[in-house]
Amino acid sequence: MSNATDTVTGPEPMMAEPSSFESIYRERLVPMGRYLRRNKLMVGGLSILGVIVLLVIIGHLFYQQDDRKGNPQGVSELVYAASVPPRLKPSWNPWGEYPLGTDEQGRDILAHVLIGTPKTFRIGAIAAAIGIGVGLILAFVGAYVGGWADLIIRLLVDSLIPIPGLLVLILIATSLNPGQGLTENQLAFAIAVLAWPGPARVIRSQVLVMRERGYVTMAQMSGTSALGIIFKEMMPNLAPYLLASYVAALTGAMLATIGVETLGLGDIDAPTLGAMLYWIIFTNALLKAQWWWLIPPIVVIVALFVGLFMISAGLDEVANPRLRRRV
Amino acid sequence: MPSKYIVGRVGMFFLTIFLASTLVFFLPRLSGRDPFREKLFEEAQRGGYLEDVDEIAAALNERYGFDRPLWQQYVSYLGEIARFDLGTSQFTFSKSNNQLLAETLGWTIGLTFISAMVAFFIGTGMGAIMEWRRQNTGLLAAMAPFLMMSAVPYFIFGLVLLTVFWFSWLQAFDWELFPPYGAYDPTVEEWPDWSDFRFLGSAVWHATLPALSIVLVSLGGWAMGMRGMMVTTKGEDYMLQAEAKGLPDNVRFYRYAIRNSLLPQLTGLALQIGLIVSGVVLVEIVFTYPGVGGLLVQSIRNSDYPLIQGIVFVLAFCTAVTTLLLDMIYPLIDPRISYSGN
Repeated sequence: MSNATDTVTGPEPMMAEPSSFESIYRERLVPMGRYLRRNKLMVGGLSILGVIVLLVIIGHLFYQQDDRKGNPQGVSELVYAASVPPRLKPSWNPWGEYPLGTDEQGRDILAHVLIGTPKTFRIGAIAAAIGIGVGLILAFVGAYVGGWADLIIRLLVDSLIPIPGLLVLILIATSLNPGQGLTENQLAFAIAVLAWPGPARVIRSQVLVMRERGYVTMAQMSGTSALGIIFKEMMPNLAPYLLASYVAALTGAMLATIGVETLGLGDIDAPTLGAMLYWIIFTNALLKAQWWWLIPPIVVIVALFVGLFMISAGLDEVANPRLRRRV
Repeated sequence: MPSKYIVGRVGMFFLTIFLASTLVFFLPRLSGRDPFREKLFEEAQRGGYLEDVDEIAAALNERYGFDRPLWQQYVSYLGEIARFDLGTSQFTFSKSNNQLLAETLGWTIGLTFISAMVAFFIGTGMGAIMEWRRQNTGLLAAMAPFLMMSAVPYFIFGLVLLTVFWFSWLQAFDWELFPPYGAYDPTVEEWPDWSDFRFLGSAVWHATLPALSIVLVSLGGWAMGMRGMMVTTKGEDYMLQAEAKGLPDNVRFYRYAIRNSLLPQLTGLALQIGLIVSGVVLVEIVFTYPGVGGLLVQSIRNSDYPLIQGIVFVLAFCTAVTTLLLDMIYPLIDPRISYSGN
């Protein structure tokens, strides 16, 4: 292996040391910035998510209720306002103590959204990460081991994809933690169980194509082990696909989270976006003209999904060079 | 070899059904719970004293066959599934699961089928025209809002529509543009009667918002997919040849471009069916539509396992059948493909 690399001549030694910040800046960040200027969708999506993150952080820093009575020790005031009703009537008064109003159970809606948004995002992020990881492993096993392993993986993937995911989640939820509803981590794992077939299918087909490429054959001939090829040659080239699959899986997982919670299978007393929708729908908030309760979660959820959609469309351009706009 | 393709595809279908029914059987049983006993205890707590809870629960479990070894239950369950016998609900004693599903499934299938088809055909058509009349940039601009909408989940969009077209309308004009819930006007007693045009109108009027929340969200995706395929098709040699030999524009559009671009769209539809069904269940809950979604929520609240299992199985079955049918349409649309099975 070392012999093979020694004989390589050409531009490699010059590029080899991006040690100082200066060179990293020039070689990585400048082209990235130049690229982002062209990829408007990605910039748009990132800005939407950025604004949400910023608002959540600012909210956590500045928005606190100070005259909450009976706040138990060690519970931050924001969490407290979102999870335990201060027993107020549902009302809306933007210049009062609760800028977004209070809900049917008398909870602070702004606190609820501030706590719920990162929670929902976190569940989706964990589930998507596990799903992609499992999908990646199965894809490589399928493409490399081949034979029976590949056949079984392919059959499983093909037969699982038509089954509506939400329904399987309902079954898992009813069996895992009946009565109380799933905790956040249980929900994340339950969703991860369903998140792998899609990525496995996409990555497997990519690996199969890549395996026939010249640089992989080259590495094989120079004696690189299978693992070396996978990690050194294929993974860097898979990165855009992995990122695109991750965003897709994240969107799917967040949709599943919100859906399951809206059905009342999550922890309905926890301050999550889905639990909020559960109460809104099942207490008929709109029929009672409590519009201020409905609008904040809807706006946040729509912004989250539109942002992720734009990022994923932007990534599609990276992962799929045929779509890349010519300058 | 189409016959080999069909055999393989039908085999895949049965594998999906088998996997779905196995999941449906084993997942709820993993919890090791005894819903009868729990419900009886709950009742006992609520109503004060209840004697012989354990005996009653044991008797009920014996009657439902829950006391037998798991493999025996599984075998007889598979037999029942094969006969489409979905068992008996644990807490709705007067009706079997089949009856409960028969009452609700029609609404769900109708809503799903009509809105999915409308979205598919309009979206695909829009995408095709958008690429064919490329010089007309207004079309692309008109598409942008649909694309953004396609990111939003159906039921969230349903809530938006409900807020805009029912709530705001009611507040602004003191008048209901669309009804906020139900599938038809329940005040007329002799309904549902499909031969009555007033009933039909009422049903359509009630289904408009739920259907719109599916159609408007799906349009953008189909249009973009079709547009992408049309770009590829337009670059093919046979399109150039068709133009060179002087075929009229509409012949090239319908017989050459659309027909050759449609297949991946159908594949997409087959892959999307599962997602659409999941979405429709939630849309039904938002609009209190009397479909399977409402029944599902009710059964979840009651921890009514046989009913939950029945609903999930039936929906998975419908999805698998639709996917199978779509896959069977391929050879009709595109006779070029050789179905060699590998």
